[in-house]
Amino acid sequence: MERTESFIGLSMALTGFGRLQLLGTSMASEYLRTLSDLLPEGVLEELLVAYDRVPTGNSHDAAVAGQILGDAKLGPVARNLILLWYTGSWSALPDAWRAAYGASVLDISRVISAESYQAGLQWVVAGAHPAGAQQQGFGAWSLAPERGVL
Amino acid sequence: MSADELYDAVIVGAGVAGALTAKYLTRAGFRVLVLEAGPATAESYSGYTKHIEHFYAANSKGPESAWPPDANAPQPDTSDLRNNNGYFVQNGPNLYGSSYSRVQGGSTLHWLGVSLRMLPEDFMLRTRYGVGRDWPLSYDDLEPYYRKAEREIGVSADVADQHYHELSFPNGYDYPMQRVPLSYSDQQLATAVDGMSVILGEEPVALKIRSYPAARNSIPRGDYKPVGAVEVQADGRVNELTFGQRCAGNTSCTPVCPIQAKYNAGKTLAQADRGKLQVLAQAVASKINIDKASGTVQSITYQRYDGTSHTTHQAKARVYVLAAHAVENAKLMLASGLHGQSNLVGKTLMDHPALYAWGLTAEPIGAYRGPLSTAGIEELRAGQFRARHAAFRFDIGNDGWRASTGAPDTTVADAVIKHNLFGKKLYDQLASQLSRQVRFSLAVEQLPDPANSVSIDPRYLDPLGNPRPVINYRIDEYTLAGMAAATKVYQQMFRQARITDCSTGESGWFPSVAYGDSIFHYHGMGHFSGTHAMGNNPSNSVVNTEQRSWEHRNLYLIGSGTFPTMGTSNPTLTLSALAIRTAEHLIAELKG
Repeated sequence: MERTESFIGLSMALTGFGRLQLLGTSMASEYLRTLSDLLPEGVLEELLVAYDRVPTGNSHDAAVAGQILGDAKLGPVARNLILLWYTGSWSALPDAWRAAYGASVLDISRVISAESYQAGLQWVVAGAHPAGAQQQGFGAWSLAPERGVL
Repeated sequence: MSADELYDAVIVGAGVAGALTAKYLTRAGFRVLVLEAGPATAESYSGYTKHIEHFYAANSKGPESAWPPDANAPQPDTSDLRNNNGYFVQNGPNLYGSSYSRVQGGSTLHWLGVSLRMLPEDFMLRTRYGVGRDWPLSYDDLEPYYRKAEREIGVSADVADQHYHELSFPNGYDYPMQRVPLSYSDQQLATAVDGMSVILGEEPVALKIRSYPAARNSIPRGDYKPVGAVEVQADGRVNELTFGQRCAGNTSCTPVCPIQAKYNAGKTLAQADRGKLQVLAQAVASKINIDKASGTVQSITYQRYDGTSHTTHQAKARVYVLAAHAVENAKLMLASGLHGQSNLVGKTLMDHPALYAWGLTAEPIGAYRGPLSTAGIEELRAGQFRARHAAFRFDIGNDGWRASTGAPDTTVADAVIKHNLFGKKLYDQLASQLSRQVRFSLAVEQLPDPANSVSIDPRYLDPLGNPRPVINYRIDEYTLAGMAAATKVYQQMFRQARITDCSTGESGWFPSVAYGDSIFHYHGMGHFSGTHAMGNNPSNSVVNTEQRSWEHRNLYLIGSGTFPTMGTSNPTLTLSALAIRTAEHLIAELKG
């Protein structure tokens, strides 16, 4: 499967968001590049290949949990990818992971960019908007919240 | 105009107090020089936008996150409290938890906008309750200036909501703009809480969730025209932008309102008579030069910096106004050898040490939307109990647990890392949690205590060689007992409103203080005050009711440093009213 397609598929499985919503953030290629730049050689490919091998259908979620999130090497990376989509920030990998699989100077906790902060899915799931951006208009806050749509 | 000329007034500091003074004096025809220690990076809209971008990309979203300091004009940062290694040299025993910004526009660039008046009884705490000290002014003395300040900074409220604890307004008065709409969260909480009774001291108090006056633009009354975003261009011309005439709910009053619908002092500076005004940014006042025989100020020495170099200059005027902030005013006085004849300069430093209480409501309340808060509980601010413990005020956040835990990021991390959730289950869990998060701030009064102080020490200097503030600070029994009472009230309220209490002391940088079996994790409200208090004679104060130095007749110290006590209201409206009162006095003085 093409690399970006694998990445989007993996991201959908991990975040619970659909393809259109993920692409709509305009962050997919930046996040893929972020992973590519900071992960030790080969880890990203391993993660994407592992996702491509996950069966579709009823056993899909269990396989994602077992073969990806449950894997000592791929699990922490996958969880960080969830955080990246939801918050727009990268979180430094655990020390034990770095010791086992390799460290990178780019692997530090940080907001990826002003754009990624605003694109965080956490604001959507809260039925809200990123603080300081995408204002909802005068008085909108006095209405009942709308739940974000999956 | 060159800075070497003789001005009518030199004002140190381009925050709200300095800006109001500059506007009044220039419009009365007087020539004014404003010396601002920080940069003027928020003056143009393109500059202001860079601060917004800085906030978006900042790892910490704290009150300072949009306003990085210049090394030559350093400032405190709440994140320094973790290791106590910031601009302040903190001697303890407790940490002073607040910060301010040294930038043209001052801390109004990141204030919340709460514009409560002080209560009539706040001005006579000693007479009423035998604690603290009385102001030499009464509520009635200040009332006309409160009205002027509410118009100057643009306050939204309905006067009908503001009649409590003897607050009075002239017949027919209403605020310049209608109240900012209450949040959905406020409305839901009011349904559960309004009318419930708690005991404070021995008196029953009925709680009410109430809209508070805010310096955020809303629907105007009468001929009032809301002031939206403004910029001063490089050529000095003022440009009014086409947005910011209404609050649009950016949910980031602190640290930055992206559309300037919330007041900042840059708006007032833009309204000055620009032909009579010179503002010098990156100009740090370093010494007040006094004529020893007469005590009058001869000049103020200031350092203009650019990068790592600076030049030294003198500013001369008929009168001198220190409007640099409660801490910076005291620091400048002490650095000039001026302690006041009562030795009170820098003493009786106060704040509103505050506790966060946060929990999950039973039903979604729509957190993370709207101005950071729109309502509070004011009933807790007055009563006989003040003879025994501090009064307090509750502010009800609209921004989930952001301030108290760093949510939503921390809520996401908890679900993903601790609970290993992903996919639809993760989504459902976050949707359920985030929209039910609510946070209260319990801000507690603090009395003037001479042991709480700003001082200087030649061992601790900043890059320009100016002293860094040395802070001695202690939270006393009176305030701690107030914290205990506030805690009881919020716990009762949470039970009544079916809010699951999630408050813990574990998160973040909050300093702690012990009281009996309790540990309180507190933070500052940014309400620095008391460092050059006003009084009715030189033995008990630094300035008189005009905010004029007792010893130096052409020197005025303005801002919340003047407050003898601080009550429970956020200080900006009161210090603005006092600044306007002093500006009118100065106009009469300069004419005479």
